[in-house]
Amino acid sequence: MRQPFDRREFLGRAAAGSAMVSLGAIAPDILCRAAEASRSDQRILVVVEMAGGNDGLNCVVPHSHDVYLNSRKQLRIDRSDTLAVTDELGLHPSLRGFADLLEAGHLAVVQGVGYPNPNRSHFESMDIWHSCFRKDVTRDDGWIGRYMQAMGMEDASDPPAIHLGRDKQPFALMSRDVRSVSIRSLDQFRFAKNQSMDLKAAIRELSQQRELTQLVAEPELQTDAGQNDLLAFVRSSTSTAINASDQVEQASKQLARSSADYPNTELGRQLQTVAKLIAAGMQTRIYYVRIDGFDTHANQAEAHAALLRDVSQGVTALTNDLKDRGEADRTLVMCFSEFGRRVAENASKGTDHGTAGPMFFAGQKLRSGLVGRMPSLSDLDHGDLKFHTDFRQVYAAVLKEWLECDPEQVLGGTFEPIELFS
Amino acid sequence: MTRAMNISDVNPDWAWSPYKPSAESPWDIRCAAHLFRRAGFAANRSELYSAVQLSPGEVVGDLMVASREGEVFETQMQALIRAALASGNAKQLSAQWVYRMLRTPRPLLEKTTLFWHGHFATSAQKVEVAELMQTQNDLLRKHALGDFNTLLLGIARDPAMLIYLDSVSNRKSHPNENFAREIMELFCLGEGNYSEEDVRELARCCTGWEIKRKKFRFNQYQHDGGTKTLLGETGNFGGEQGVALVAKQASAPRFIVAKLVKFFVMDEPTVSERLVDPLAKKLRKDDMNVGPTIQRILSSNLFFSSHARARKIRSPAEFAIGFLRSMNGSADAYKLADSLHELGQGLYFPPSVKGWDGGRTWINSSTLLGRSNLIRQILDHSKTRFAKKSLADYLRQQEIKDVSSLIDWIEPLLFAVPIPQAAKSRVAKLVGSDDDRMKDAIHILCSLPEFQLA
Repeated sequence: MRQPFDRREFLGRAAAGSAMVSLGAIAPDILCRAAEASRSDQRILVVVEMAGGNDGLNCVVPHSHDVYLNSRKQLRIDRSDTLAVTDELGLHPSLRGFADLLEAGHLAVVQGVGYPNPNRSHFESMDIWHSCFRKDVTRDDGWIGRYMQAMGMEDASDPPAIHLGRDKQPFALMSRDVRSVSIRSLDQFRFAKNQSMDLKAAIRELSQQRELTQLVAEPELQTDAGQNDLLAFVRSSTSTAINASDQVEQASKQLARSSADYPNTELGRQLQTVAKLIAAGMQTRIYYVRIDGFDTHANQAEAHAALLRDVSQGVTALTNDLKDRGEADRTLVMCFSEFGRRVAENASKGTDHGTAGPMFFAGQKLRSGLVGRMPSLSDLDHGDLKFHTDFRQVYAAVLKEWLECDPEQVLGGTFEPIELFS
Repeated sequence: MTRAMNISDVNPDWAWSPYKPSAESPWDIRCAAHLFRRAGFAANRSELYSAVQLSPGEVVGDLMVASREGEVFETQMQALIRAALASGNAKQLSAQWVYRMLRTPRPLLEKTTLFWHGHFATSAQKVEVAELMQTQNDLLRKHALGDFNTLLLGIARDPAMLIYLDSVSNRKSHPNENFAREIMELFCLGEGNYSEEDVRELARCCTGWEIKRKKFRFNQYQHDGGTKTLLGETGNFGGEQGVALVAKQASAPRFIVAKLVKFFVMDEPTVSERLVDPLAKKLRKDDMNVGPTIQRILSSNLFFSSHARARKIRSPAEFAIGFLRSMNGSADAYKLADSLHELGQGLYFPPSVKGWDGGRTWINSSTLLGRSNLIRQILDHSKTRFAKKSLADYLRQQEIKDVSSLIDWIEPLLFAVPIPQAAKSRVAKLVGSDDDRMKDAIHILCSLPEFQLA
């Protein structure tokens, strides 16, 4: 049984040293919830965000199509260099790992994913993918946040979602009541010590005293604009951080080394951490990582190849690692980008912002192969591909079939799930 | 106590009228501390006591103007910048800016320069030429409180920005849309206030703009001399005219004002059009000279009201620099710059061309642990000094004898909301006034959720 906090160690530390302030009889509520199964069979979703607008046409390459050949004089990829999927389509040569997964029946490529009236701003399009709404309505939370809220995960003992990375927390994870955890690196995810007091215990307790502090706050600053939502947010975030640091510290102690061949990149290290946390028995359902750089307006070829190699190798290593640890069948990896790129290349050996693009899924229970069809290269909208699968239909499949949650309340509408799983 | 008033019910005339202290809303050191936290990087106790001897309007007026002291400081800074550039390392530039924020006699100028760095965000991660990053930083500071249109045109032709946006060449055969898009979306109008067609047309206006040998130049052979229709106007526009046309849009001053209000007044909720409009009209009337707008904001009823007090989350720079400036502190600038980067605000290294979203996005489990650890690191570091003294000596000079008096001293100085009584009682139980004990007490107080609010 894995306990996020060792009771004896805790009491021992609390008693040590005369300067230590006594905690009294109040034990952190986390102790009361420690009786959970060490291994969970709950399914896990790993999201890989490919930020900047991934050039889908050079991922799943229509190598023999006239429009492709004419539009991509500098950037086109020869048929002989691609990794064949069908007669007409081949994967980018950097996607060797994906090709192997496909061979093994563990990769699905959903083609032509987008949404109506596409927005070509990175930030707005990313917000649409994260929240499922456009900016004409108030957007306070993300689709994964709403999933966690719908599943009542605000009282979960382990963080329901963990974001690995140094960037800000993804909008998709925002929720009214459920706080996700962001971890830069496992080593740094702990509090510095304070000799006089058990800092974590003190801050934990003080962060939880919501009602009390509201009452005792001095009246002159008891604002007439009512309760301070920001303060409430920081308080719950602080509690989450303290609990998570305990749990991650405990989980870190059980980390086994992995033999899988992760790329020596930030993404590679993050995905390796994901595998370790899953194997350590964290009850976390969602892991989120992000790789930036897909905004290839200039000199695309080399940069794009490196990025794709990173993603493909990383996801493949994660899959193999989890297989070795016996966790592969309950883990699904989903790779997406905010939009694809213009069919025609630009004058800087790059491509500009486009619309529809492919999504990649890795997992053991997938309907492996191409899902949906390649968007037409002759019927374009202002030089851009027309989507035929709404990304919310893809989310609907993931929510309904994988995460076992009613997609409607999460997506704010009815979207016919695509056939993603076998 | 006045009854709860919703921000949507606030009268715009009242909101932007100058704040007049009253019994209900006194001009005291808490109030002055609020002003200095927002208009700069916080103030120490003696600065606060001097400020309350003046009127709020006078204090804001003083923050706006250049001084002799500022000139001397600038000369020192130039030497530091030269040294940083000689290293060729943008991290040294970052440290140099931290030092500037810690020591500047013109905190509002620096705060506003940081605002523009987030607005016209460009990262040394990609630009790699430290010298160009500094040229841009100088440009931001030069116009920080001045003419927006001049700043915009300067940025539109700024080598670091053009490198950052992959726009070092813009040829007529394939106009580069990236740069044209960001000018409208992020720098001037906001998403939704232009069409995709406008993006393409502005890109055509700017064809022939290039960066060669680290300098901007116009290549007339690559310029598309044809007729363009941009934002409803048709003509044979060049890049300068195109940019000016964008800045002329009614949405431009509204976009800038909304961002300034979010930066200086409140993270949430998004300021309404009703509140933005009067300031936007004045900004236009001032020919887009932003100084007077910032002065209006910082002197206003709304700024000093409960809608603004503690309604921002401290950015990493406000958190760390503010902590030190409040206690006459100095610290290892290089290490501090690194910590800001770790906490999500690398100076010269914003995360994307959209800059920092701020508000709640500063806060997550990693950054909260990191913030607490940063206070500890600052307190424990051998180079950290408070008025050139150890912490214990400095506090003794401030006549602080024990942890209880430390709490009373530190609360109005560092906290935008009162420290909860439970926390005070708990920390007050710590006995002693030696360096270690005081450090521990401050470490705990500054790890409280309340300390994250500005």
